[in-house]
Amino acid sequence: MSILVNKQTRVLVQGITGGSGSFHTKRMLDYGTNIVAGTSPGKGGQEVHGVPVFDTVAEAVEQTGAEASVLFLPAAFVRDAAIEAAYAGLKLAVVVPEHIPIQDMLRVREAAVQHGTRVIGGNTAGIISPGEANLGIIPDIAFKKGRVGTVSRSGSITYYVADTLTREGFGETTCVGLGGDPILGSTFDEILDLFDADDETEAVVMVGEIGGVYEERAAERVSQMSKPVVFMIGGITAPPGKRMGHAGAIVEGQMGTAQHKVEVLQEAGGHWARTFQDIPRILKEQGL
Amino acid sequence: MAIPPACGGVAVGNNVTRCTITDQQLTEENVRLYEHEAKSLFAKVGIPVKEEILASTPQEAGQAAEKLGGPVAVKAQVLIGGRGKAGGIKLVGTPQEAVKAAEEILALKIRGYDVEKVLMAPRLDIADEYYLGVTIDRINYQLVIIACSEGGVDIEETARKNPEKIHRLSLGINDPLYPFQGMALAKTLGVSGGDLRPVGSIITRLYGLYKKYDAKLVEINPLVRLADGEYVAADARMNLDDDALFRHKDLAELGIEKRHEEGEMTPREQQAQEWSIPYLDLDGNIGMFPGGAGFGIMGNDFIEHFGGAPANFMDSGGGPKPERLAQMLVLLDENPNVKAIFGARFGGISRCDDFAKGVIMFLTEHGLSKPMVMRMTGNMWQEGVRLFEEAKSEHPELFEQVEIHGIETPIEEVAKRAVELAEA
Repeated sequence: MSILVNKQTRVLVQGITGGSGSFHTKRMLDYGTNIVAGTSPGKGGQEVHGVPVFDTVAEAVEQTGAEASVLFLPAAFVRDAAIEAAYAGLKLAVVVPEHIPIQDMLRVREAAVQHGTRVIGGNTAGIISPGEANLGIIPDIAFKKGRVGTVSRSGSITYYVADTLTREGFGETTCVGLGGDPILGSTFDEILDLFDADDETEAVVMVGEIGGVYEERAAERVSQMSKPVVFMIGGITAPPGKRMGHAGAIVEGQMGTAQHKVEVLQEAGGHWARTFQDIPRILKEQGL
Repeated sequence: MAIPPACGGVAVGNNVTRCTITDQQLTEENVRLYEHEAKSLFAKVGIPVKEEILASTPQEAGQAAEKLGGPVAVKAQVLIGGRGKAGGIKLVGTPQEAVKAAEEILALKIRGYDVEKVLMAPRLDIADEYYLGVTIDRINYQLVIIACSEGGVDIEETARKNPEKIHRLSLGINDPLYPFQGMALAKTLGVSGGDLRPVGSIITRLYGLYKKYDAKLVEINPLVRLADGEYVAADARMNLDDDALFRHKDLAELGIEKRHEEGEMTPREQQAQEWSIPYLDLDGNIGMFPGGAGFGIMGNDFIEHFGGAPANFMDSGGGPKPERLAQMLVLLDENPNVKAIFGARFGGISRCDDFAKGVIMFLTEHGLSKPMVMRMTGNMWQEGVRLFEEAKSEHPELFEQVEIHGIETPIEEVAKRAVELAEA
């Protein structure tokens, strides 16, 4: 089993008629993702790569049974589109765009919790269950079906971790990009729960970075996991007080420092990998 | 273990956490307002402020002091805290003294920021000082109003020493703030009787202002009660979410628009900012040419892990155009501290063909003066490899100092190679 998405998941692309929407729809289809619909208000009735386009998510759900969506829209439209997905009863919405206004994400999160929708992102590379489905912009070259789950703030780090796991023969069940924006639709602890309940996932690799509070929020869950958790934290050598690229990545206040994150996660029983190549070594030590 | 308190605050039993506002929220990408700008927004929503006058020269400051009459405060307008300690606030009695004080303050540089304007404020006859603030609790996805009966001081220090003086109210983004809640918070400040309603109203208006303008932080520190019983915001701090500025056209009319930190920057950081490239100079000798911020941060850790030292942090952003990639390389090539360049591209939304085009554009139009080792894989990698091979067969001399690896080489090996090249 994978978490969140598999071969059967009926996927909708919100913003399918746009440049990136159309480009990545083709890529996701080529991977075998079960894309059943797209939306673009005012363009209902068209087709993109053979996928029918609807004006609203509710229509797409009614006519195609869509249950998960990927958003390729300008940041200013994300609030409405993600809440529309929640109201239409989708189980999952993957928010690829970055720089979503903070108050918009708070509203999206409230609607998502209320309607039982899992929102991933913003500024996420997406979710891939290797051999099953690929939702977002993840290049599939490094991924292979296997037994380790991964969850990471950064997209490129998701790729490097999978690259390492695949090379060493572990493979992945599902890889989740949480996203790089300061307010995220989902948090590490929520994804850890899903991996803990998944029979095929034997261990989890979690990668955080300086800034923000989500790694600290995950510590309690890490201590309760029935499976090994290997973690990495980017920014150990970052000079304090300097701002780095992700809106959420800053080094001020103890909560956001890489050292603090490493400490609380180690205290919770997580295994610290300093480079990608440490990950397979630790997994073997843990009996995988 | 328990979930740590939000915003680096202090835990206070029974799962209640108290939040303090740390510099963490101030250093993210946001739009900081000058005191006078924040106060003009305060006035707009009915938070009481005194008439104050902005001055750019000592002469203007003198005229303003004359107009205000009586003793005044001359306050440096800078986008950073700690101006009082840096000599950026002076109290004077006459217009002549105001001219002299303004002259001194306008010559200051406060933590890297030039003082270009001063705010001339009538001196207040203060009876009591309080603190009010609104910010976000990211762990719990809530907004938080913070009230403290001690104002005009470092609120973080108060939170450490006298946590009982700090009270907070957390609200969901869709929850209204009712007047009775504002008054209940006012009461925690020690306000009573006929003052409850006006102070409660300042709290609800401050919260309304925070939401209306997509703020990340709003503070009144201090809110003062004057000897005559009037309440006034004596200082104002406001940071906006720059991702939400697009929907506040009225702010542009006030001259409030996207602005970046203008603290001490190196010439290269200034150049990078002109090109809109997130860039920081560091002390090492390996030029870092990563993809997005994720590996930008982690790659620097790897270089140090293998005994090297990065010369910079950089972030290409999502889906960079070839021109931007070429500019990134120009920054590194022209930095005399850089002995070798380490490049990494795992194409996601940023495609390898664009990456190759950018590198080739740099090699052709600018030229490389030091060794460079890079790894390229991900979306469109085949096309990237083809472009490199084509360019190399036409101009092999451009590639003499370039080593390009693909997915077969672990990124750690490429990082080690960069360390080797920098040492050679």
